[in-house]
Amino acid sequence: MARSKADLLQGTLDMLILKTLELGKLHGWGISKRIREMSRDVLEVNQGSLYPALYRLEDRGLIESEWGISPEGRRAKFYSLTGSGKKALREETRSWALFSEAVQLILQTTH
Amino acid sequence: MEWMKRLARRIRILLTRSRVEREMDDEMRLHIEMEIEDLMRRGMSREEARRKALLRFGGVERYKEQGRDARGVRWLVDMGQDFRYAARTFRKNPGYTFVAALTLALGIGATTAIFSVVDGVLLKPLPYHDPGQLVIVSQQNSPTNRWPLSVVDYQAIEEGARSFESVSGLSRSRAVLTGGDQPERVAVGYVTAEWFNTLGLHPAEGRGFLPGEDQPGAELVAVISHAFRERQYGRDAETLGRTLVLDGQGYTVVGVLAPGVRSMAGWRAEIWPILQLQPPPRRGPFFIQAVARLRDGVSQAEAARDLAGVSERIFPLWADSFQDREARLTPFPLRDVMVGNVGGALVLLFGAVIFVLLIALANVANLSLARASTREREVALRASLGASRGRLTRQLLVESITLAALGGLVGTLLSVIALDALLSLGPQLPRIDEVRLDGRVLGFTAFITIASAVLSGLAPLIHGISSDLGAALRSGGRTGSEGRRANALRGGLVTAEFALALPLLAGAVLLFTSLERLQKVDPGFDPENLIVARASLAGNRYQDGTSVVGFWDNALPGLAEIPGVEAVGLSSAAPPNNPGMINNFDLRDRPVPPGSSQPAVPWVIVSPGYFEAMGVRLLQGRLPDITDTFDTPRVVAVSSRWAERFYPGEDVLGRQLYAGGATTNPVTVVGVVSDVKYQGLAGDDESVVYESYTQNPWRSVNLVIRGRGTSVTAAQVRSRLNALDPDVPLSNVQTAEQRLAASVDRPRYWATLVGIFAAVGLVLAAVGIYGVLSYSVSKQAREIGIRMALGAQASAVRRSVVGRGLGQAALGLGVGLAGALYLTRWLEGLLFGVSPTDPASFGLVVLLLLVVALAACYWPARRATKVDPVRVLTEE
Repeated sequence: MARSKADLLQGTLDMLILKTLELGKLHGWGISKRIREMSRDVLEVNQGSLYPALYRLEDRGLIESEWGISPEGRRAKFYSLTGSGKKALREETRSWALFSEAVQLILQTTH
Repeated sequence: MEWMKRLARRIRILLTRSRVEREMDDEMRLHIEMEIEDLMRRGMSREEARRKALLRFGGVERYKEQGRDARGVRWLVDMGQDFRYAARTFRKNPGYTFVAALTLALGIGATTAIFSVVDGVLLKPLPYHDPGQLVIVSQQNSPTNRWPLSVVDYQAIEEGARSFESVSGLSRSRAVLTGGDQPERVAVGYVTAEWFNTLGLHPAEGRGFLPGEDQPGAELVAVISHAFRERQYGRDAETLGRTLVLDGQGYTVVGVLAPGVRSMAGWRAEIWPILQLQPPPRRGPFFIQAVARLRDGVSQAEAARDLAGVSERIFPLWADSFQDREARLTPFPLRDVMVGNVGGALVLLFGAVIFVLLIALANVANLSLARASTREREVALRASLGASRGRLTRQLLVESITLAALGGLVGTLLSVIALDALLSLGPQLPRIDEVRLDGRVLGFTAFITIASAVLSGLAPLIHGISSDLGAALRSGGRTGSEGRRANALRGGLVTAEFALALPLLAGAVLLFTSLERLQKVDPGFDPENLIVARASLAGNRYQDGTSVVGFWDNALPGLAEIPGVEAVGLSSAAPPNNPGMINNFDLRDRPVPPGSSQPAVPWVIVSPGYFEAMGVRLLQGRLPDITDTFDTPRVVAVSSRWAERFYPGEDVLGRQLYAGGATTNPVTVVGVVSDVKYQGLAGDDESVVYESYTQNPWRSVNLVIRGRGTSVTAAQVRSRLNALDPDVPLSNVQTAEQRLAASVDRPRYWATLVGIFAAVGLVLAAVGIYGVLSYSVSKQAREIGIRMALGAQASAVRRSVVGRGLGQAALGLGVGLAGALYLTRWLEGLLFGVSPTDPASFGLVVLLLLVVALAACYWPARRATKVDPVRVLTEE
């Protein structure tokens, strides 16, 4: 896996995780499943890479975790957004919108 | 505040690390199980689902590593792990650990011991208040000729110099202490009232001196050392107010110095009596060391100008007793005067021990390097499991730090023993009392330990990072030719060791050659069966010259009657290194120009028996003897060197000279005797003037007693003297051979220490080259086996191994030779009769190192020829 692609993916992955948690707490597998569903199976991340991202976000104080029982009846670790996580998500969404809009513009004018 | 929360979380994670690891395991396992179940719900078989789930998840271990990194406590956790790992590695390799740690301990221990001497003598500020402001004022008439002050000079400075906050005087002396069981000769320092204020050092008990106590007529008082008080009065006795009798004078004890103060301004004395200066009848004698404190803001140069003005002012007032107009009162930093000329030797010693440390480090680096390559496979495996390069680098660094810390710890213990030996076996060095293993020294030890860790860890590090990990994994870490870079590194280390060993060895050989030549110098007397001892007359019975002459007139024949005594004499000097008094004089028929400096030579007071006892020959004329008295004209004998220097090729008998700045009453030369060394064996000027004690009586003299086979004891001499006067102590009893040996104590000390360092360096270098060659032979067993299977002769194999080792050593010798030729110039001042680039010594050193290198190469080469081609080739 080329590094540039991984880096791009990493920043994006952080944002996607925050987004999936906006609706409520989820465990790791739930997050990966939701990302797949929300992108209508277009985005397929290497599932393991989710965990380093989760720990990083937790370390930065954007999400927090607690152990609980899943709907399937298993003991699992649930992640949820913190206050600063919500704020970060808003900022990330806004700058992403700006960014994709700009890219869109460029792509259109070139044609 | 965010960072605080973060920090708290990290600490919590750190404390509960194993739980976190477990949770991470659980979490990832759960994820994969849920994925499998999900896939099975969509109709896959369990096997297929499992395969797909693992594929989708990716490398579990890799994400765990990344997950740990993401938590930010990674480095701390790893560090702990690294240390545990290092400890485990060391436990598994006790041989390697022992050798490497011991090598480091030797290097660090020796460096620490030498540094503590260098620090105590050279670097530490003097233990006085604001010591940078303290100077010693001396008379000087040429850059090399200095002497102390007279009462006239001292009082002129006290009254006339404006540069000083305070001025004080010290007269170094020895005095006879009576009143105990036996008369005793003790070191004393007579000091003026301002002494303790000038140094800013006050007695721990009682008081220092009061203004006016140094005026004639005031009560005589004294301060004593702590050691003297304990010895003389016992630990608890009341000391203040007691009376001490020194040279027949009573002194009241008013103060006791702190236990640590054994010497002041470089003079080690037990009693510090008040110095009362009588109004001077003439400019001389010169016996006062003036210690002064510069005023704030006054530089030494300004003080020198101020003092030069004082010299100018007093010169005309005393011109009839002192004609040297060029003599100037000059200030010198107290520290420089105290340290004297040992600075160069100590710096040299420190340089030598640093070389030893570097050689030790090169050896440890080589050891770790060899070990690192056998671990290539382990390293490669860890790298492929996801350990980052940084992580592996740190692991290696932690290992070398742990090793160095171990070496530093053992080294510190070794240095305690080494320092003790250095101090107790060594000669008296200035400021030696201040040498100790204190916080400063331990700080230095910590520094060199860390530097050692970095330096010895560097080589394996370079190697570990650059090696091709994939290749290492495939090759199995056992066979195959090794990386060229690793070989070059190893060869480079061997080269460096020899390059460092050569200057060390060259220094040692030069110093020993110099010592040998010094010991072969003819001292001018026969040291066999010769005893030298100091006898001193004290008390009120010897106030005038006649009584002193009377005592010796009675004592000398009595001593000659002791069975076994062949000849007895007395002398104010003690060869080979104590000239007693150095006196200036002017030749009556060839006076120096007015106002310029007169020549000065040892002026030795003797009895006629001295020449016989010493084996000094009369060459011309007669000896001064007991027929020369206060009532007859003053006569002297001179050494043949004196005659040559002042009257080359001419007759000296009957020549006259004015002694000690006098302008009347000349003395006449009546004899010439053979030369004797009085200013050290290395001293090259043997010009001496001898005068009879019957015309110039001294109260404290050296007795020289020649025995006839049977040994004469100090007790016999003492009982003869004490039969005449029970208050005459006999001290410093030594054989002339002991005196000769003691006179070269310092050169022997330097040579021995550098010699030890050179020997250690040589052994380490030999071990280094041996280790590297053995290692590469074992690594190349397969290659050698193939060559031998293809028909290579044993001798060719041996030649190639020896050739490689010698090549590395020879390169080192070349570099070392160039370095040594440059470095040994620093030895110049320490060498006698041998040039710092002496070709014979350098030839010997190069030869010795080559032989050692050859011997160290031979065994690995022999082992190479013993390689069994069948065995190594089938071993794969």
